[in-house]
Amino acid sequence: MSVAFIPHELQGNILRGYRRSMVRYLLLEVADRQAARIWLGAIAAREGADGLSITTESAWSSKPDFCFNVGLTFEGLRALGVAPDSLQTFPTEFVEGMTARAAKLGDFGPSDPQTWPAPFDEPARLHIIASIYADDEPHLDQVQAHIAAAGGGRALRIRGTREGRNFNGDVVHFGYRDNISQPRFAVIHDRPEISEPMAPLGTVLLGHETSFEGLFWRVPQPDPLGLNGCFNAFRILAQDVAAFETYLDQAAEELLVHRLTEHVLKPGDEAKFGQGISRLAALREIVAAHMCGRWRNGVPLALSPDTPNPQSPVSLTDFDYTAQSGCPVGAHVRRSNPRGGKIVQRIENHTRRLVRRGIPYGGPYDPTRPDDEERGLLGNFLGANLGTQFEAISCDWLNLGLQDPQITGSNDPLLGANEPATSWFDMSLLNGASIRLRGFPRFVRTRGGAYTFLPSIPALRYLATLTG
Amino acid sequence: MESEATWFDRLVDALPNTRLFQFIAEWILVPYWAARTPVKPQPGGPRMAPQPSENLQHMMNLIMPLKDKSPIGRAKAALAIAQNVDEIYAGLNNVGTVHFARFVLVDGNLCMFSVYDGDFSNYIRDFIATIGSVFNAIVALIEDGDAVIPCEHHVEAFIDWVHARDLYQVPDLATDLLAQHNAAASGDDLRLLPRDLILQLHANPNVSLGSGYRGYPAFSVAQIRQKLGVGW
Ligand code: HEM
Repeated sequence: MSVAFIPHELQGNILRGYRRSMVRYLLLEVADRQAARIWLGAIAAREGADGLSITTESAWSSKPDFCFNVGLTFEGLRALGVAPDSLQTFPTEFVEGMTARAAKLGDFGPSDPQTWPAPFDEPARLHIIASIYADDEPHLDQVQAHIAAAGGGRALRIRGTREGRNFNGDVVHFGYRDNISQPRFAVIHDRPEISEPMAPLGTVLLGHETSFEGLFWRVPQPDPLGLNGCFNAFRILAQDVAAFETYLDQAAEELLVHRLTEHVLKPGDEAKFGQGISRLAALREIVAAHMCGRWRNGVPLALSPDTPNPQSPVSLTDFDYTAQSGCPVGAHVRRSNPRGGKIVQRIENHTRRLVRRGIPYGGPYDPTRPDDEERGLLGNFLGANLGTQFEAISCDWLNLGLQDPQITGSNDPLLGANEPATSWFDMSLLNGASIRLRGFPRFVRTRGGAYTFLPSIPALRYLATLTG
Repeated sequence: MESEATWFDRLVDALPNTRLFQFIAEWILVPYWAARTPVKPQPGGPRMAPQPSENLQHMMNLIMPLKDKSPIGRAKAALAIAQNVDEIYAGLNNVGTVHFARFVLVDGNLCMFSVYDGDFSNYIRDFIATIGSVFNAIVALIEDGDAVIPCEHHVEAFIDWVHARDLYQVPDLATDLLAQHNAAASGDDLRLLPRDLILQLHANPNVSLGSGYRGYPAFSVAQIRQKLGVGW
């Protein structure tokens, strides 16, 4: 039942990242339904509305000044006048919306949607999330001005914006290099360096074969609306860098005097971490690497368990997990994608893949000048089925550790809802033993978000034809 | 301070136990309330808890009304289970997160009671992916079952379908129960059993009373298997 792959009918932010240095998200409310529909139809056209059109998956002849895409919430589809019997064909988690799924996502306590700032405090009025990608601010402003003026200024109300920018290549707050692993698709050839199993297109696009043999996700109806669409979990994740770095200090101090310290770092191996680096500083890096599953420079622990600077270079993506792996079972990347490693849910290897598009917000944290500025990640977690991918990873793997009895009952060390009194995480040592770290707080808080549907180009045109 | 009960207080207290009052309550009062204040049936199954260990050993009480409730229809259901039981159990083993599962006939209902770890949707989805094709034969015997088979092609609808037939789990503690149903939080006085709960039970006649007892809480299937050395 797979549909054809037609690049110019797909939004371009699904299968590949644009790799721009800035992104601005406009959080929009449909103010005038008819004017908004006309605008959607216009941006779906190749020539666009006054020059603004959706960036599609079509190959570029020259790199555009900016890229532009839209996602619609369930309330947005309703506000645009999608008929009730069509709305009913969308999946429950999308219909209910992200705030209703808080318990599954770990959004309680300081992440509780009740604490989210505007406009996320009124999810019913959040209809469209438009994203603008560029390398400079004037282009972001230009597109924003265009949207503010849509339909003679009547179509849409800008209820808020969020802006992210890269400050050091692919490095995110907490100092890790991100944006390394992504599902690989047979039809996309832009990142030959990624060496992972191929994912079927149905991992992200509705109407295509999924990664479960014989299983199909429901395509929202009618077909022109649902086919080639994709769901997205947009998340604003505030990161407490000071708490994270402080915890690395604390854990490194403990490891320095731990009876197994030589199995954490062989005496004399400090030099592998850099010229003149202290044992304490090297131990900090080891803790950070174990929590993530990658050294902060991106090198996977699975291939280089003892140093971020292996003598002969290792692949960043071509690895798997075994019982002897140097990567702890509870590390963030292993939790969120156990690859081919043994897991409890035997059919779930490779079936919960997410396409991730994230960019940091807030300036880099300077430990010499501590501040209270909010900083974090503007994350997009894309998949054809939010329940199977984003939610399943969040609740059973990140927050519960159900995939392996050794970590069950513990939270993801980097982003889980951890409490110092109860948190624990097992580092795996070079001799196969482990050391349990405790006492770490929650480093990441949710500060907003929404489930959106990224419609295909024909779907935008379909929306433009609605009446009433 | 306890005040002396007057004859009128005593009459009011005794009223609910009189035949006449019970008759009026059942046939007039509750239906009238229910019609005036429609109550949405509470969703079935457990709720995810903040504490990770509380999300293990969840209970599913799936009640599926048979299309044919006669002894013949019930016999057909018994046969359908017997014919597929090996495959279903092998499948549940592969799902990996199921502690116990059993099938029971209660009146005109085929029931599946199971204890599983983690999130409900993931459990059912894994179940479909593992043994959906076998389960279709059973769902075909159930009222409104035809709309969701083959379940491999109706994954989302099937999960919602099962969710809707999984019994609502009344909170474990009387205090939580009273709180959830907006009672004036005042002890365990059953006379205060709130109207909302009565209306809920009117809308939702079968419920699970609490989430159940566990002899060894906070362990997953895989943890128990690992501790017993039987492989996971
Ligand atoms: C502020 C929050 C987060 C931070 C700082 C963070 C950080 C990272 C880093 C440094 C990596 C390694 C780079 C790479 O493999 O590309 C990574 C990978 C990954 N993260 Fe996160 N992450 C965050 C939130 C999340 C969330 C909420 C999810 C999912 C619900 C998630 C899912 C993943 C996945 C699937 C991978 C790739 C694993 C693989 O394929 O090997 N992350 N993350």
